[in-house]
Amino acid sequence: MTIRNVILVEDDPDDRDLFATFLGKRRDVHLLPTVTNGVELIQYLELSSDAELPHLIVLDQNMPMMNGKQTLQYLRSTGRYAKIPTVIYSTYADSSLVVDCKSLGAKMVASKPIDDKGYQKMMDDFLQII
Amino acid sequence: MKPKASNHLWAEIGRLKSQLSEANDTLDAIRTGQIDALVVNGDNGHALYTLKTADHAYRVFIEQMTEGAVTLNSSGLIIYTNSQFARMVGKYQSGVLGSKFIRYVSADHKSTFQELFDRGWRENAKREITIVAGESHIPVLLSLNALQLEDELALSLIVTDLSIQKENERQLRISNEQLENLNKALISSNHDLQQFASVASHDLQEPLRKIQVFSRFLKDRNFHELSEEQRHYVEKIILSSQRMKVLIIDILNYSRLSAEDGHFVSVNLQHLFGEIADDFDLKISEKNAIIEIGELPSIEGNKGQLRQVFHNLMSNALKFTSPERIPHIVIRKKDYNAKEFGVSLSQDETYCNISISDNGIGFDEQFATSIFSLFEKLNPKSAFEGSGIGLAIAKKIVDKHRGLIIARSKMGEGSEFNIILPLQQQK
Repeated sequence: MTIRNVILVEDDPDDRDLFATFLGKRRDVHLLPTVTNGVELIQYLELSSDAELPHLIVLDQNMPMMNGKQTLQYLRSTGRYAKIPTVIYSTYADSSLVVDCKSLGAKMVASKPIDDKGYQKMMDDFLQII
Repeated sequence: MKPKASNHLWAEIGRLKSQLSEANDTLDAIRTGQIDALVVNGDNGHALYTLKTADHAYRVFIEQMTEGAVTLNSSGLIIYTNSQFARMVGKYQSGVLGSKFIRYVSADHKSTFQELFDRGWRENAKREITIVAGESHIPVLLSLNALQLEDELALSLIVTDLSIQKENERQLRISNEQLENLNKALISSNHDLQQFASVASHDLQEPLRKIQVFSRFLKDRNFHELSEEQRHYVEKIILSSQRMKVLIIDILNYSRLSAEDGHFVSVNLQHLFGEIADDFDLKISEKNAIIEIGELPSIEGNKGQLRQVFHNLMSNALKFTSPERIPHIVIRKKDYNAKEFGVSLSQDETYCNISISDNGIGFDEQFATSIFSLFEKLNPKSAFEGSGIGLAIAKKIVDKHRGLIIARSKMGEGSEFNIILPLQQQK
């Protein structure tokens, strides 16, 4: 089985650790170095070869410089990244965020979990996309 | 010669006829008030015959005017003044007569007046200037008309005191400024509220979620290593953070209500209550509650918001139940008497009243109004958990639908909420 690359775009160090912990338990998944906002993600992607591009992008919504929704918009309008499955997760995913991001092409919009079970479920859901 | 004499007579008759008709016209004109003086060519040159009654009427009229009236001669001397103008400048009429009008004009308006005076002889002119009366300055409107008097041309001036008007304008300007400032403050406070909603939605919830995550980890992962006391503390942290989450979400929902504008559709209340009863399925069977839904109409409204109103009321009815009896909640359309409720409703609208009554613990009716205030809670926290925002949200939504919500209760016997809503909303 091929290894699938996942990149997390997240500015909160606790959430980065949590995400890495739960994803690290999954097989055949590799977490790329984490970037902390949309601008950094774009820089990272531009330096990557086509083979190195992630199979899944996980965007936090609330980030400085370029938030999740703005980043998603940029990715969808840029040919090289338009097809990469992208999900958004947020502390507070209200219905307007869900509707907006889905219409922009997000594969999933999730609320950040608050316990072990929630994290495991979210990882299941995310990895099912790829 | 005979025919000649006859011709002469005919001509004489014709001349007399036309003189008679002229005299009749003049009489008519005098009678209808078109003429108030006659110039008659007499032996000693022209003589002026004024009509006493007309002249007198005009003099009284001018004396009684609230405006000042003065007449100037070609050198600007006052040759007539009414008493009103004399009062304006604080003098007797005799003191004003014969003086130059320009001396009553304020220094900064003297040149303006001079121009106006020169122009007034050729055409009617109007202008606002300031006149001086002792120490005080009076803003006035001057209206100038050239006037043909008996033997010379004169200039008539109507002087309208603008003090009251100016003062009103000033007051109006101040009021407008105050209104504008208030409006600015309102916009800014609305903006602050929106900002707060945004901050509450993200910045406050982020650290709160961390508390939830790590307290749960502590409990789930280290359960066996924790002493009973420690478990108790962790449990408290988890419950408090849950409660805080509910509070934040409720405040957000409340503040969003102000921003949302009404999108009204026809809402079938019968269906709506069916859906709401389904939402509470678990709670209803848990409490063995009996829910009775009568025949309900369709009304115009914002469906999501109306759902929230009835959801909150149903939630309360199921929350504040009495342990002594089986909860019984009745929802029905009910006749109402606005007077009995002590309210007034628009005559141009058709309303319906939806009553939701329960046999729960009830509340002291002296709180019937205050329960709709934000964060108002009547029950001790431990017994009935809640944010205290539910009824405030319900009231705000009903207000936005131009309706009324009225609570009535008997302590220990139950409560009834009447929601009176117009059947139609304004488009």
